[in-house]
Amino acid sequence: MEIMKDLEKFLLSEIISNSGLDKNFIAPDENLISSGIIDSMGILKLVSYLEKSFNIKIANEEIVPENFQTLNSLVQFVEIKIKK
Amino acid sequence: MDFDFTPEQLEFKQSTIKFADKELNKDIILRDKEGSFSKGLWKKCADFGILGFPFPKEYGGADCDILTTLLVMEGLGYGCRDNGLIFSINGQMWTVQIPILHFGTTEQKNKYLPRLCSGDLIGANGMTEPGSGSDSFALSTTAKLKDDFYILNGTKTFITNAPIADLFIVFATTDKSKGFMGVTAFLVEKNFSGLKVSKEIEKMGLKTSPMAEVIFEDCKVPAQNRLSKEGNGAIIFNDGIEWERSCMLASDIGVLERQLEVCIKYAKERRQFNKPIGKFQAISHKIADMKVRLETARLILYKVAWLKKTQDRAGMEAAIAKLYLSESLIKSCLDAIQIHGGYGYSTEYEIERELRDSLSSTIYSGTSEIQRNIIAKYLGL
Repeated sequence: MEIMKDLEKFLLSEIISNSGLDKNFIAPDENLISSGIIDSMGILKLVSYLEKSFNIKIANEEIVPENFQTLNSLVQFVEIKIKK
Repeated sequence: MDFDFTPEQLEFKQSTIKFADKELNKDIILRDKEGSFSKGLWKKCADFGILGFPFPKEYGGADCDILTTLLVMEGLGYGCRDNGLIFSINGQMWTVQIPILHFGTTEQKNKYLPRLCSGDLIGANGMTEPGSGSDSFALSTTAKLKDDFYILNGTKTFITNAPIADLFIVFATTDKSKGFMGVTAFLVEKNFSGLKVSKEIEKMGLKTSPMAEVIFEDCKVPAQNRLSKEGNGAIIFNDGIEWERSCMLASDIGVLERQLEVCIKYAKERRQFNKPIGKFQAISHKIADMKVRLETARLILYKVAWLKKTQDRAGMEAAIAKLYLSESLIKSCLDAIQIHGGYGYSTEYEIERELRDSLSSTIYSGTSEIQRNIIAKYLGL
């Protein structure tokens, strides 16, 4: 839950606020890519945030839709990385 | 903070300058006029080790760090006046070899990297399309998986090295619903069925670097030639372009330095109104500005190299370097022509060619406008 909240807060404050989208809530299963929340530049900012905040290293080949498409998939991905 | 290079690094640079000056400048005015690429010169560069410089020894490289590599590229730009040849070399190193190194399977790396480093294979990167330039990921080229092959359909344009390439890295959409994360990269050999390279595109500069359209009509690509996973294409492209922006213009530092020396020499020798023209502030100030641009560009470039070495990602800094270096190069080329007057305008003095070559630098690897967008986005705007 904590990771989910942190991610939602980051996306709303750092990514969406600069995107022109008008949102104050992201549903856990909302498609972050097709909704335009994350674009090709935003994803690099997100990766940088995840690495710093959770002390994980994300390989470039892990930046694929399965891991980044929704808040749920992001949380799952981060939890697996933390356990490793 | 130590700004010095080691004696070994400086030796690498000096030997590159000697090699380039001796081997790479023959008939440059004629080759530019004819728009002809020299495979012989490409092989000479490969044999000297330039193509493999930053790549691991197991693939035929020299395993040099990025700082040393950029110093060598600076030397290449200083000694070699064939900017088109250098452009083609850079295109392969940063947007073909680097993606294979960073994202390729062991088989793909073993199959392609040694031959790319040795100059036996020439590579090209296929991203831009007639309908997508700055809007990089608005791709129309599609790739559909059928049995053990991907079937590619679409057109790529302004592809550097296309007329002479043996291997293409091609970006295509495998899932349009996923936007930029539905883009996948493929290693496409020139003899795969369905690949056609069009007539060469004539350009105003970099004429010795060939460029063409590449058309895919049900082009069959074996599934094992997919580079990394489906949907990883945008990250592969971003990784390559960051290296390109960080490194491609290193050779232009060499150009800036060479131009500066040529202008200083001319300003001391050319006399008007009973004195060297360098004694007039109208000329000396231009040359001073050229020096400022050279030193500032050098500082920015090597800061980016240091960041790439120590933390790998340097998106904003690479954009800053690319923006500043490219715009500085054009300004200095314009100044060089003005300082030389009529001689600067003539083909014989080779200064006009430097300007023609430089004008593309604010367009390729992302236009200056896109670089400014990137910087603004990193600043939270």
